[in-house]
Amino acid sequence: MKSALPVEVLMTKRRACSWMKLLAAALSVCGCAGSATGSREAVPTPRALAPETATPEPSISDRYWRAGAAYSFPARLSYPTGTGVITTLHVPGALDTTGHPFFTPLGENGRACITCHQPADGMSLSARTAQEVWEKLGPSDPLFAAGDGSNCPSLPQHERASHSLLLDRGLFRIARPWPPLDRDGRPIEPELDIELVSDPTGCNADPAFGLSSAKPAISVFRRPRPVANLKFATSMGFSFDPKDGLPLEIDRESGLPTSGNLLADDRERTLLGQARDALQSHTDHHGTLPSAELQRIITFESQIYTAVSEHVRAGALDEGGASGGPDALSRAPAGKLQSTKSNPIWGEFSAWNAADSDPQGEFRRSVARGAAIFTGRQFLVSDSAGITDVGFGNPVRNSCAFCHNMLHAGMDVAPGQVDLGTTNLPHANPLPELPLFRLTCRPGARAHPHLGRVVLTHDPGYALTTGKCIDIGKITAQSLRGIAARPPYFVNGSAATLADVIAFYDKRYEMKLSDEEKLDLQHLLEVL
Amino acid sequence: MSARVAFVLLLMAAAQVTEAQETFIACPIYRDTDAGRKSGCWLADDPKGVRYDVTLAPVKPQVGHLALIEGVLSAEPDTACGGRVLDPVRVAVLEDSCERQIIAADNYPGRPFKSPPEMLAPSDQPRSLPPPPYTEKVFSIYFEYDRDFLIYQYAELILEKIVLYAKASRAKRVQITGYAATEPLVVRGRTLREPIALARSRAEMVAEALRRLGVADASLSLAWHGAPAKTPDFEGGKLPEPSKRRVVVTVTP
Repeated sequence: MKSALPVEVLMTKRRACSWMKLLAAALSVCGCAGSATGSREAVPTPRALAPETATPEPSISDRYWRAGAAYSFPARLSYPTGTGVITTLHVPGALDTTGHPFFTPLGENGRACITCHQPADGMSLSARTAQEVWEKLGPSDPLFAAGDGSNCPSLPQHERASHSLLLDRGLFRIARPWPPLDRDGRPIEPELDIELVSDPTGCNADPAFGLSSAKPAISVFRRPRPVANLKFATSMGFSFDPKDGLPLEIDRESGLPTSGNLLADDRERTLLGQARDALQSHTDHHGTLPSAELQRIITFESQIYTAVSEHVRAGALDEGGASGGPDALSRAPAGKLQSTKSNPIWGEFSAWNAADSDPQGEFRRSVARGAAIFTGRQFLVSDSAGITDVGFGNPVRNSCAFCHNMLHAGMDVAPGQVDLGTTNLPHANPLPELPLFRLTCRPGARAHPHLGRVVLTHDPGYALTTGKCIDIGKITAQSLRGIAARPPYFVNGSAATLADVIAFYDKRYEMKLSDEEKLDLQHLLEVL
Repeated sequence: MSARVAFVLLLMAAAQVTEAQETFIACPIYRDTDAGRKSGCWLADDPKGVRYDVTLAPVKPQVGHLALIEGVLSAEPDTACGGRVLDPVRVAVLEDSCERQIIAADNYPGRPFKSPPEMLAPSDQPRSLPPPPYTEKVFSIYFEYDRDFLIYQYAELILEKIVLYAKASRAKRVQITGYAATEPLVVRGRTLREPIALARSRAEMVAEALRRLGVADASLSLAWHGAPAKTPDFEGGKLPEPSKRRVVVTVTP
């Protein structure tokens, strides 16, 4: 194994606690005292620093995993976030990444899967990491590959402005063929026509990459979804998808049903399909990767669990009767529907209802209240295609757990895509830097149930896969675990912070949350 | 008239009232009662201004869209939501827009959500195959007006029963016949008519569902027809028009 290790600091829990102690000193709270002797597995990295030399915030060269370097991916890998520690487990133990296809550049742009799925960002990629890579490593780093790491490949790649969406919002360009292709690669006759209203990146009008190019494509810009906790994303709690009104789709290769919870627009429904799609579109890999190599990628990512393990104010998340953190998550069953009365989601933290009245206990009780709000605070869910047009009525009274209902993960057990308004006008946050499309439903097509026959959107979402008007703006819900480590939020990075996420929902659904309720929900999200 | 005779006459009158079928198009009203999740009331005013409670429909209305209401007046008092209760009742959401109407609870308690008596079991729970004897068996799945969408918490249960019966009986043939109500239904001067293409798409939707649940494609046989007969099998024959919008699946061992 090579000893050159760009990631020079891989924080063990001991070192995370050292960091937390520094950060928590002013608050006089730290839940790490009991673990200061270091009970976790040693990190078999040649140049791991001793705890006493740890810095409060590891620099980008310490925490950015470069493609192709020979690292040891430890069984347990922790990094500080702004409010705590994100810990990623590799369940089988340490892994020598030398030559491993998840860590090795396989395409032409120098990227590997790890480039955009960083452990410090909960196996996603934060805008902050992108900014730091730009500042320290410059535009030649494979992260900024022209194909999807810039606003458009035709732009001058050495300029920051050409990568502004990745740097400012953590967004990658996703080019979808238009008209869309079915699972067999055959064109679908779409129910709608697309016009450009504004195109600040220039890519949708670009003669080489746009809608009028030789290979017509629509460019949308999306956050990378976390490659972790995938047993939840691939689990199938029930055989029927109420949003599509059909049983779960069958994968042609395996003949098995698929969950529909993997990608934002459901363009791939299996880890194999996702890996192939990502290799081509994100690593510029042309050709066929041997199935054994594809299987190594899938095996690795299926054994990765990430979650917040410690919080600067709550301490360790598996103490005080709670069962947060990645260890419990890795053991938890997948695909189980929550029950608000008998088995509520985020019951991991219900014991903290009885936490002490000291500052740590106060915070823990806030988390527990946040969990109770998540399941119990009801509001009118309205105008949300995928929910309010499938029989429940529009509006329908329910809570956050109506959709975020899978125990331990927070995605939707009944899989499928929903238009919450994160990309469609009038509900989307202002996004002047993103392209805006006018979608017009063709005669005879069933209109979008709540927005009618003409829809303005920054991202047609699921409609780019199905070509249907009813699917405009539908985006797949994703896991909430480790969310604190991967800002900004929503598919288009339109919420900079967790507080902004809560503010969006509060406004969108007229929830009328009190300031305390908002804070309780934020605290809950910070410890997932 | 003796008290007993009077009571019997009263019962007869009540029975007549409960059989009165109502069919109208309305702009639905949501009453925001708060008795837990999914507890709000759905109301619809007929052209005479009579307010009906249509909350018991399997598919609820959408504010801002006209709805076709087809229901039978029940004997239940109007205390839950503030409208004469239709039960059974079917609602179909039309594409036509209308005013969005959301009103306050006004002290009406609403209808606390009750899980359906039978729900689809999680995938990891084992299923029992139906016991013999295995003879030709007919299943029906009903649809909303002008839709081929399989209704949640209703259709999947029937689909699963079909699949289990087909497996248990080693079905040689699964005949799927889709119907659409192609004959005009005039509702307050408006003519509603389903296209024959809908009969086909309903049949194809059911066929796709059965394929996905493991029924061999080779055993499936599709047909579709317009102008179907009413069937007394649906809601005891109380809703003749909605009974036409169906797919009939015949499993032959």
